Amino acid sequence: MNDEQLENSKILLVEDEENLAHGLEYNLTEEGYKVTRAKDGREAIKLFDENTFDLIVLDIMLPYFNGFEVAKHVRLKQPQMPILMLTARTQFEDRVKGLEIGADDYLTKPFHLKELLLRIKGMLRRKKWYQKIVSDSPVYKFGNNEINFENFKCKKDKNTFQLTSYEAMIMKYLIDNKDKVVSRKELLENVWNMNPEVETRTVDNFIVRLRKYFEDDPSNPKFIISVRSAGYIFQDV
Amino acid sequence: MLPRRHSFVYNLIIFILAQLVWLAVLLLWIYWYVKNNLIFEQVGEKISPQIVYDAPSVFPFVGGIVLLTGLSVSLVLIFRHLNIQIKINALYDNFIANVTHELKSPLSSIQLYLETLNSRDVPEDKRKEFYGLMIRDSERLKSLVNSILEIAAMDKKKIQRNFEIYKADEIIKKIVLESAEQFQVPENSIKFSGDAGCDILIDRNSIKTVFDNLVDNAIKYSLSEPQIEIKFKRYFKKIEIEFADNGIGIAHDEIKKIFQKFHRIYDKDIPNVKGTGLGLYVVKEIIKTHKGKVSGSSEGKGMGSKFKIELPIYTDKKKSAKEKKKG
Repeated sequence: MNDEQLENSKILLVEDEENLAHGLEYNLTEEGYKVTRAKDGREAIKLFDENTFDLIVLDIMLPYFNGFEVAKHVRLKQPQMPILMLTARTQFEDRVKGLEIGADDYLTKPFHLKELLLRIKGMLRRKKWYQKIVSDSPVYKFGNNEINFENFKCKKDKNTFQLTSYEAMIMKYLIDNKDKVVSRKELLENVWNMNPEVETRTVDNFIVRLRKYFEDDPSNPKFIISVRSAGYIFQDV
Repeated sequence: MLPRRHSFVYNLIIFILAQLVWLAVLLLWIYWYVKNNLIFEQVGEKISPQIVYDAPSVFPFVGGIVLLTGLSVSLVLIFRHLNIQIKINALYDNFIANVTHELKSPLSSIQLYLETLNSRDVPEDKRKEFYGLMIRDSERLKSLVNSILEIAAMDKKKIQRNFEIYKADEIIKKIVLESAEQFQVPENSIKFSGDAGCDILIDRNSIKTVFDNLVDNAIKYSLSEPQIEIKFKRYFKKIEIEFADNGIGIAHDEIKKIFQKFHRIYDKDIPNVKGTGLGLYVVKEIIKTHKGKVSGSSEGKGMGSKFKIELPIYTDKKKSAKEKKKG
């Protein structure tokens, strides 16, 4: 994808540390993004509700509403919105909580400017790629399942549930490569944009979750099949 | 599911169980004593009714109850100490999380500006602005590291202080204005009144740390631009420096706790105020080493806070005594 297409992307920067926010705003503006700043969770939610953004850079320790609460609010309204959590917290539980709520990426302070900018670019690119491929056929049906790739809503028989953005992107990637073996590395490269912090085991964990959603018997899968030492294959039987 | 080990509930359950066991032992003890006593009385009467039955000594009975009660009191004491320890551990964990955040935020900011200056062609005016921001962040780091080192040294009583004689009003005004400049409080937001007109013997750096903490608190716990008022009052042997701000004030039940180590105030009007819970503890300890006193007061929430610092006046008498000693 041409990087010029990413210019003018609107970023909501939620950071209560004035100095850090100022430096981030300067750098993101220099990259060609349009930045709106929020200094606390309350302002972030207000700005998010009243404007449209392409990506959110979100701190966790915020006044009024913390980053997790803001992410929850955003996910309810716009499941596809990329969220990059930026925080001083390094505890494993915090990372897991952030990713479970639906943050797409997690960067701990202090961070390298180059890495932050690359991740933001990667997330914006992925969003555009996803929007493009989804716009042609937003709903996919297989077995008793139905996935809407626009709003991440799914149906299995009479049950409805919501996927996170990563879960939806993995399913989209597997479905687009139906009947072909997709390696873990390939998924990492294309869905996570080769995030060095994500291990291949993370892919396996996501697959376990997806099987629970879509398979009648997750221990004996019919749709998402493991191929020993190669990866996964999606079969629409 | 069982509650987590070392949690309050876990200890409470163990404590209640121990008390139940203790109560059961006590009841068994009384039951055993009374029953044995009855048997002894009956058998004694059957074997030789002519023997005048003498009431057995109550010593083992009372002694047993005293020992069991002693056991119960010990349990209560252990439970109390354990809970204090749990509370301290929780405060310490919270402190570590706060310190991590307080260290990482300015460090991230400095790293960001350095990498920006290194990788971009930044215009001169922006460069100057970034340098200024980096200096402010490094001051923030310095003040935090100083607080932590001060605490560690104070706890081990190993702190080296450089006491010197100063004119009280002059030095305090100077120090407060320096702190204000460091925390970017406009000079016209600070008012001085009163006159001390005396000398004090202080370690300048430590007293700077005191006012850094007070100014920092005035900013952090203020909903608008902080207004600081410093009043000097002279008494017979001491001077009083009153530091008043227009912040959110301190709730009545919090006043006693504010000088405790790691204690932090939570106010829903200003949530997530950054800090370590060390500031006012450091203030109290520093003033103590100057043979002074510090106290906090507030007329209530939203009414601002007042801190009164009392320091002994340094007189010529002391000076000459000191010189004599030296001589």
